[in-house]
Amino acid sequence: MTRLALPAFPLDNRRFVGLLFLAPALLYILLLVGFPFLLAIAFGFSDVTVGNTDLNFVGLQNYLAVWENDIFRQVFETTIRFTLISQIFILIFANILAIIFTQDFTGKWFARFIFILPWATPVSLAMIGWLWMLDTKYSPIDYLLLQTGFLGPNGILSNNRNLFWLATPDLSQISVIFVQVWRMTPLATVILMAGLSSIPTDILDQAEVDGSRFMRTLLQIKLPLILPIMVIALLFSMITMFGDMTVVYVLTRGGPVDYTRVLGLYSFQVGIEGGNLAQGAAISLFAFPLLLAMAIFMLRTASRAEVQ
Amino acid sequence: MSRPLALSRLPMSIVQISGLKKYFDAVHAVDGVDLAINQGEFLVILGPSGCGKTTLMRMIAGLEKPTAGTIEIGGEDVTKLPPRKRGVSMVFQSYALYPHMNVFNNIAFPLRAQRRELKFDKRAIREKVVSTAKLLEIDMLLDRRPRQLSGGQRQRVAIARAMVTKPAVLLLDEPLSNLDAKLRANARDELKDFQRSSDITAVFVTHDQIEAMGLGDRIVVMSEGKIQQIGTPQSIYDDPANEFVATFLGSPSMNILSGNGFRFGFRPEHFLPKTLHDNPENSRLFHYYVKRVEYLGSDRLVYGYLRGSEDELTLAKVPSNVRVSLDIESDYEFAVHNSDIKFFDKATGGRIAQQNLAQAHT
Repeated sequence: MTRLALPAFPLDNRRFVGLLFLAPALLYILLLVGFPFLLAIAFGFSDVTVGNTDLNFVGLQNYLAVWENDIFRQVFETTIRFTLISQIFILIFANILAIIFTQDFTGKWFARFIFILPWATPVSLAMIGWLWMLDTKYSPIDYLLLQTGFLGPNGILSNNRNLFWLATPDLSQISVIFVQVWRMTPLATVILMAGLSSIPTDILDQAEVDGSRFMRTLLQIKLPLILPIMVIALLFSMITMFGDMTVVYVLTRGGPVDYTRVLGLYSFQVGIEGGNLAQGAAISLFAFPLLLAMAIFMLRTASRAEVQ
Repeated sequence: MSRPLALSRLPMSIVQISGLKKYFDAVHAVDGVDLAINQGEFLVILGPSGCGKTTLMRMIAGLEKPTAGTIEIGGEDVTKLPPRKRGVSMVFQSYALYPHMNVFNNIAFPLRAQRRELKFDKRAIREKVVSTAKLLEIDMLLDRRPRQLSGGQRQRVAIARAMVTKPAVLLLDEPLSNLDAKLRANARDELKDFQRSSDITAVFVTHDQIEAMGLGDRIVVMSEGKIQQIGTPQSIYDDPANEFVATFLGSPSMNILSGNGFRFGFRPEHFLPKTLHDNPENSRLFHYYVKRVEYLGSDRLVYGYLRGSEDELTLAKVPSNVRVSLDIESDYEFAVHNSDIKFFDKATGGRIAQQNLAQAHT
């Protein structure tokens, strides 16, 4: 029997329907990731500014200029330092919390809910909250320290009534790292919790029958088994943090001086606020090969790790 | 009715379970189990899935807290003790090998975990692991990871890990069900040999009656959280305590028919043409209508019904080497030896004394 060549209803066409389903994801990637990324590369090799949007090819000129800039080097170093230090704390806290949250206790659901909030809150809103918590004059933390005798005349920490959380070189960096850890720990914890609960119960029962106690089971069974997932959690939070500008933009604008200026913020300040689009693009692209290498390395480590 | 084992405290019983219950909310997984496990025996707990056999084993291991009842191992009440203080070890259905450790470290794990209790130093651990591995013929695999092993090798590693601490009781939870059929018969044989030669007490949980019959010194048949019968494979097969045990064991299962106020049954292999019975006086005669015959090689499986019980499918299993022709859609005279007919209470399913079979069946 021959088929009649009726004009088909478009939704009967599998290819068409497939494309339709893919379209949102494709549009997102092409328009909001791919296009800006290519544009940034194009800008990085040009002399475009906010005032003059002609794209003239200038080769590696922007990259060389950026690389020889002392501020950029410091910013680059600060970004790496912030990222690495906060990852260490995130990993420690996320592991501890994931282990706590996978135990059975009353109120677990509520505790989990409260705990996930820092991650669920929009970054800028949360940062405005922290801006107030860490305020130079009206910080509630300072107030508590003042009341308990840690601050003020003859205070243990300082004779001042304030610690100036965001205004001294050391404390401003500690504050930014602390807030980043506060913000990123929940996601890492949730990923680790998923990893812990994916360990087969047979394995844990076996360890118990074999006579293993809590610490041995944790160190020799649970942690090795979730190592690949830990790497994924680390990858997520490192990449998020390496490119982040919101936290420092709201809290410090990179100050005092350049102490908390990170790559994302610097690129924004040079490119958008300073109007030098070409150099701004070049600055942000410096992060790209580093992040790419990091991602490849970690994903390889994760897939090499032996898990049944 | 179950026939509880006499609870006399035999000095040879290594595990003594009394009044053991485990309720998961409304579900009575284990509902009052009394059981004595003898030193050095191979005890099989047999039952359909959901009968509570695994829960019972997990309570012996200490992985599940009983709702009520006590467990004694080696004369000591261990009901409230954690697994590591019970002197038991376990082989899980999945083998539960630690995937990130090689075979050596897998086998060494319980020794290291119980180092304080067992007082082993590094060298003693190495010796124990190697000698146990040799016993199970896996000493050439010590550097391998579990995923590099075959199913049979994994099973041996799991058994080696369970044996290395010389436990008082070895618990095995369907350890053969992950092996393919060809390996399984072989593994069964090896397991039995190994248990005999090492003189260990083994408790083996399974839903597979062939495994149970083949391995068990004694079989515990469980259903709905209760022990239905305890006995040797032969006594359970030949002398079932109730209708559940009678129909659960045997393939195809026992024919069950309604009598006058009771039920009765006989196994298909005991239901044979009259001419094959050498002593017709001790046999019961039935008029059997043959509906269909399946040729199974060694046997012919006959589907039909007794005249007078046309709505109850009755099977006969006739050896192929007896030259009796059986045509379909024909009537024959079949007979069962009187002692092969079992009678059951209509309400409880328990075994009852011999009853008069209604005339309708003859």
